[in-house]
Amino acid sequence: MRDHGRVVRLVGVRKRYRGRGEVLAGVDLEVAPGAPVSVVGGNGAGKSTLLRIVAGCASPTAGRVHDRPAVVGYLPQSMPPPARMTVLAHLRHHCAMHGSGAAGLAAATSVLDDLDFTGDRAGPLAALSTGNLQKVGLAGALGCAAPDGPGEPPLLVLDEPWTALDAGAADALERALDGWAAAGRPLLVADHTGRAARSPGARTHRLSDGSLTEQPAPSREPDTHVVVVLRCPSTRAAALAALPPVAASWDEGGLLGVRLPAARGDALLAAALAVGCSVVGVRQER
Amino acid sequence: MSLSVGRTAATARYLLALLLGEQRVLLPVVAFLAVLGVLFGGDPGPPPTPWAASALALYPVAAWVALVVANVEDPVRRTVTVTAAGGRAAVVTATLVVALAADLLLVALAVLFPLLTGRYSYPPPVLVTGAVAHFACASAGTAVGLLCARPLVARIGWSFCLALTVVVVTAVQPWLPPVGTAVRALSSGGGTPVGPALVGLSAAGAAALLSWWVDTRR
Repeated sequence: MRDHGRVVRLVGVRKRYRGRGEVLAGVDLEVAPGAPVSVVGGNGAGKSTLLRIVAGCASPTAGRVHDRPAVVGYLPQSMPPPARMTVLAHLRHHCAMHGSGAAGLAAATSVLDDLDFTGDRAGPLAALSTGNLQKVGLAGALGCAAPDGPGEPPLLVLDEPWTALDAGAADALERALDGWAAAGRPLLVADHTGRAARSPGARTHRLSDGSLTEQPAPSREPDTHVVVVLRCPSTRAAALAALPPVAASWDEGGLLGVRLPAARGDALLAAALAVGCSVVGVRQER
Repeated sequence: MSLSVGRTAATARYLLALLLGEQRVLLPVVAFLAVLGVLFGGDPGPPPTPWAASALALYPVAAWVALVVANVEDPVRRTVTVTAAGGRAAVVTATLVVALAADLLLVALAVLFPLLTGRYSYPPPVLVTGAVAHFACASAGTAVGLLCARPLVARIGWSFCLALTVVVVTAVQPWLPPVGTAVRALSSGGGTPVGPALVGLSAAGAAALLSWWVDTRR
């Protein structure tokens, strides 16, 4: 039975670098399980510094981080790979260090599959493209959690995780992070793409001039939706089971109609064609 | 500061895998083998006297190895390892363990090498004296290497200069434990230098502790 996750709290955290002055000037932050926190801010605002302090690989000049879990998965921006280590060896070592073992390794390799990793798993990390390398880094960080393992849920800290990911992998990562938060684990992301802010239950903070202010839930325009009409060879229920989740579905004179956010449209079309459906029509609506 | 043995052991295995993949660690080992070849190739003389030279040579070699072990990862990569391992204490401990394991390997090479030539008899007490004296020098070298490496010294050029200076200044004093006294014990046929070995091991531990403490200020 997994312990309930504690809230990771930063109290009065300050960070001063020699020559750069005070980067963080008294930051208070709470990262609660199930409520992902997204940090936005201009370049050089100190997001990476804040994330390193939360993850535990940098120490604040003043202030403290309370209730950080024993296991933390962390991915910085742009990390040079070790020259000769293979992808699988790298993941195996990281899961062993995290203490998540074989279950964690299985989780990490399934993350690679979800993100559509196209590199050679038995080949060296140095040979990977930037995007594939990013996918390995994400797999290593997400693999720190052994599903249903003992102890408290691990904290995940990601610095600009959508860097270099293609659209399909970016959607897959959004789903993976939604799943992480839904499993009752704390999550902190620095993200300028806006994807992290869309996660259910997410809270966004802006870092500027060393201070963190919570942004209200964005009163943006409602997501654009698309309606896709499919002719499927099987029954409606069987077809829906084979497709990614949709916001609504109905019967249109023998055809299957589905409505879903526009961002997920391409993934649905690809899945529909893969299961043998034929696309009759696609239209946009608000 | 909580230290998990399992996670620290996993970190040590990871560092070892990185080292062996890089192969940069082979440079000091091969250099040491060359020194052993030169020292014991001809007629080295009866033990334990010829070991005085190889023990002295092991001091800078061990410092070099410790430097390579401590600097095996660049600083950005190291932040990921620190979080994966569960803290700086785990990574520093793992680094120390790997460096000392390398020391034991070098000690074994030095002690067993003259056995290959088989010219003289090496009874077990003599082997033990030789091994302990070599370990004293090796662990002292590990201490110097760790003090000159990241995170204490950021740039490899300064690391090498500093390590070389410290080694040269401290190696030539026959009264200075642990290297001086261990080497003198070998060359003058004194007893097993257990004291210097303990001093060396403590110095290595203290260097690791200092390295951890400085890192926690970053």
